[in-house]
Amino acid sequence: MTNSAYPHPYIVMRGVNKGFRFGEEQISIFSALDLDIADGEFVALMGPSGSGKSTLLNLLAGIDKPDSGKIGVGNANLDQMGESAKTQWRAHNVGFVFQFYNLMPMLTVAENVALPLLLKPIPAAQRRERVDRVLALVGLDGRQKQSPGTMSGGQQQRVGIARALVTDPKVLLCDEPTGDLDRASADGILEILGLLNRELGKTIIMVTHDPEAARHAGRVLHLNKGSFTEQERVAV
Amino acid sequence: MTYLRLARRNFWRRPFRTLMLVVCVAVAFLIYGLTASFVAGSQGAAGASDDILAVMNKSGSGQSLPIAFQNRLSGIEGIAAFGYVTRLRGYHQVERNVVAVTAADPATLIETSGRDLGITPELLASLTASRDQILVGRAMAQAQGWTVGQAVTVTAFETPRANGSANWSFRIAGIFDGVGPSTDTYFAIAQYDYVNAERARDKDTVSGFVVRPDMTVAPAALAARIDEVFANSSSPTKTQSEKQFLQAFLRQFADVGLIVNLVVSAAFVTILMIVANSLLFAMRERTYEIGLLKTLGFPNAPIITMVLSESVLIFLVGGVLGVFLAKIATVVLGPALGLVMTVPVIVKAGLIIVALGLLTGLLPATMAMRTTISKTLRAR
Repeated sequence: MTNSAYPHPYIVMRGVNKGFRFGEEQISIFSALDLDIADGEFVALMGPSGSGKSTLLNLLAGIDKPDSGKIGVGNANLDQMGESAKTQWRAHNVGFVFQFYNLMPMLTVAENVALPLLLKPIPAAQRRERVDRVLALVGLDGRQKQSPGTMSGGQQQRVGIARALVTDPKVLLCDEPTGDLDRASADGILEILGLLNRELGKTIIMVTHDPEAARHAGRVLHLNKGSFTEQERVAV
Repeated sequence: MTYLRLARRNFWRRPFRTLMLVVCVAVAFLIYGLTASFVAGSQGAAGASDDILAVMNKSGSGQSLPIAFQNRLSGIEGIAAFGYVTRLRGYHQVERNVVAVTAADPATLIETSGRDLGITPELLASLTASRDQILVGRAMAQAQGWTVGQAVTVTAFETPRANGSANWSFRIAGIFDGVGPSTDTYFAIAQYDYVNAERARDKDTVSGFVVRPDMTVAPAALAARIDEVFANSSSPTKTQSEKQFLQAFLRQFADVGLIVNLVVSAAFVTILMIVANSLLFAMRERTYEIGLLKTLGFPNAPIITMVLSESVLIFLVGGVLGVFLAKIATVVLGPALGLVMTVPVIVKAGLIIVALGLLTGLLPATMAMRTTISKTLRAR
């Protein structure tokens, strides 16, 4: 599904096919899927369970490989890159926000956020400065030394967002970031994502089951049986 | 945040489990440290010299040689000094309290093995003050609670006196310490003339000769030369280094090295399985985290390094602790039990620590490497 409002899309999928084999049976997830997402766009992906939302996210992150078709993110042609090249690309260009936060329980908040910076050869002082900056951005200033286990779900998800932001990626891929949160916490997280999109120009693709959450996006794509069935524009 | 800190935090994330693993490894290395120290010590084999030669009867160390052989020995080139000894094995007070007395010629004692034993001219003078005097090694004196000036009786197993008694009375003239911690000092030195004059049989024979080669000849070459001289005599000789002799002597009872290797191998294999199994469990618990690291863009190399460093860390902490405890045991019990922790024993322990650490981590590391992100994310 292309978005004609943006003539030069940042993320492009063309004719993507993807299936899984379960024993003898080959199950098709996508068939000749097309998608355009512009630089700085906030897109919500909705659809029933098993419709391929998370698989689409994995394809865009270079975690899964398409059976055929082309996937481009910025200047990177993911369908043509090897595993190690995709891993390296992901470290610098994509931030991930997970439904269950996926924080390391034995690390402090600051250490969790600093985790992706292990891959970057930057001085310790600069590393600390970056961690402090993103924690302040998500409203967790002063919580650097706290253990994630002592925080609420909403706060843990903020830590997850800070970790995704610390390498300053262009794209944020969020897999049901509010799926495990109460309404108030979810709204807080969605506000942060909206802010990152509007103020910092991050391209955000968010998988969600929650229509309320989808309303924070600029565009909502409905995925069903391997293709987009509906596209809504949201007045922000 | 550094890789080291991450490895340290992973290491300590389940303190009880880690502690148990460290204790397991420590026990294995304690066993290794003690047994290897026993082999190294082998009641003196570690401290025994490769340069001093022992000339024994070729038929076996239990057979004697005529003392008259000294005349032919003195004519062999390459000998700096030599002396003769005869062994008197017996017990003190109770039969299981076995003691060894070596009767030597005081005149040649310092020139042959006396320096290695720490025999000073003063000690030698006190030994020769009267004929029943003995010098006692520090380990034996400590074990028996003997002091200088004390009269002691040794009941001989196979060396009866001319008067029909098996009891030999000695007076302690001094205590020698040996030049190093690995020197065997669990025996006493008596005067050959006293023992030879008092014994009922085998007079004018010796258990063997102690030969110190001069600087111009290789000990092995001299040993061959000595055996050649006595090859056609009434008692052909077998000459070998003091160390070889002691090791061969021990092998009469059992192949200590083989037994130790089997015990240590069994301990290590068991520990290896326990630690590997626990690490595999730990990795399975953390499959999702490994998937997360890969999602964040971590390549395989740092993830494998992290897993391996964790297993190496467990072996390092446990191994160092075990070897340290073994070292304490050798210091406290060493003199009495002949435990000597030599540098090669410690170096070998270090190599085993690294090798087992890597080997144990190999399987979990392979598992972590093969973990695919999409599978782990779906598994949550």
